[in-house]
Amino acid sequence: MKRGHIYTFVFMVAITAVLVFALAAAYEAFKAPIQDNKALQEQRAVLYALGLDAGLKDSEVAGVYAEKVAEGAIGGVSETAGQKVLAHQEGGQPVAYAVPFEGAALWGSLRGYLGVKADLSATTGLVFTYQNETPGLGGRIDEEDFKEKWRGLPLQSGVSLRYGASDPNLPDAVTGATQTSSAVLRTINKVLQEVVFPGEVK
Amino acid sequence: MAAEKIGANFKRNMFTENQVLRAILGICSSLAVTNTMKNSLVMGLGVAFVTGLSSLTLSAMRNVIPHRVRMLVQTLVIAAYVIFVDLLLQAYMPDISKQLGPYVGLIITNCIIMGRAEAYAQSNPPIPAMWDGFFAGLGYTMILMIISLIREVLGFGTVFGFNVNFVGFETWTIMIMPPAAFFIIGSMIWFISARAAKKAARQAK
Repeated sequence: MKRGHIYTFVFMVAITAVLVFALAAAYEAFKAPIQDNKALQEQRAVLYALGLDAGLKDSEVAGVYAEKVAEGAIGGVSETAGQKVLAHQEGGQPVAYAVPFEGAALWGSLRGYLGVKADLSATTGLVFTYQNETPGLGGRIDEEDFKEKWRGLPLQSGVSLRYGASDPNLPDAVTGATQTSSAVLRTINKVLQEVVFPGEVK
Repeated sequence: MAAEKIGANFKRNMFTENQVLRAILGICSSLAVTNTMKNSLVMGLGVAFVTGLSSLTLSAMRNVIPHRVRMLVQTLVIAAYVIFVDLLLQAYMPDISKQLGPYVGLIITNCIIMGRAEAYAQSNPPIPAMWDGFFAGLGYTMILMIISLIREVLGFGTVFGFNVNFVGFETWTIMIMPPAAFFIIGSMIWFISARAAKKAARQAK
């Protein structure tokens, strides 16, 4: 059967409308669990950066977060990368800060939190809430092996961090993902210079 | 044409006409995601699911799709299913969704899906078309698993993230990087093609 242009046109409009409608319905149906997951991931990320998430079940995250995390300010800065600086509070005193950061990596932007002790002597952890790096390569910055090396690194005003595989006081880059690793380092050093130790190193 | 039996369909897509090794489709993702077995498995199952459902849908509509715009329709249907899988993963498997990140979206561009739609779903009834798509995806998954097994063991000394490197073997960095998959896939294609050629020669006699 030979079909004309009108049939083709109507068919395309109709099928597009049907598919768009179906996807919109699916999006609505999944909206609640997706948003819950996002909120949970964000809170867990903050706890991870502060070193508080060890052994926490998903159901316990919100409780611990509400109990220990509050908005804070590091050196008078209460907002970085468009998000609030958060603090781990014990007895009303800040113990550590989770500083939100944003940077550009190899394929896309990079967002996350850098945890720093309240006396600025060391890091408490590093976590990414958004990254778009190659899975298995740059994407491995999101794996424990990489992130755990950012815990408890001594910080010093005026000294930038660098990679060093054999030094326990330095983080280690991801093999085969030099660009992404460098981008992470650049982003973190920028946070250190601009927020943690502002105005000391240019 | 007599309907192909489901077992024959399975065998064809898994072995004799494996999409990666015989049709050289889906190579891009075979190079990229195969350095860990977990990523390969989820990617493979995602492709199998999308290929099966899109073949089913496209085959069911094969008599009403205007021939001239059939590729547009294929892309539309495939894209819709991929977005659906992406939403599903985000809602119920957030960890895996986070890890696969951009690769879920890239399922759309996996040539196997459109290849099956063009080569099979277009001219076969819906149910066999669904199995054909699903089995083609499984054949892809199988190859991905074989490649990632080699790469993960030699590159990280692990299998599905569990350490199997008991003897202090020095892992090969090259295995983690995409070029390793080039060599592995290349060797596999060489082996399979040589065997197929031999078999064809024997039959010709």
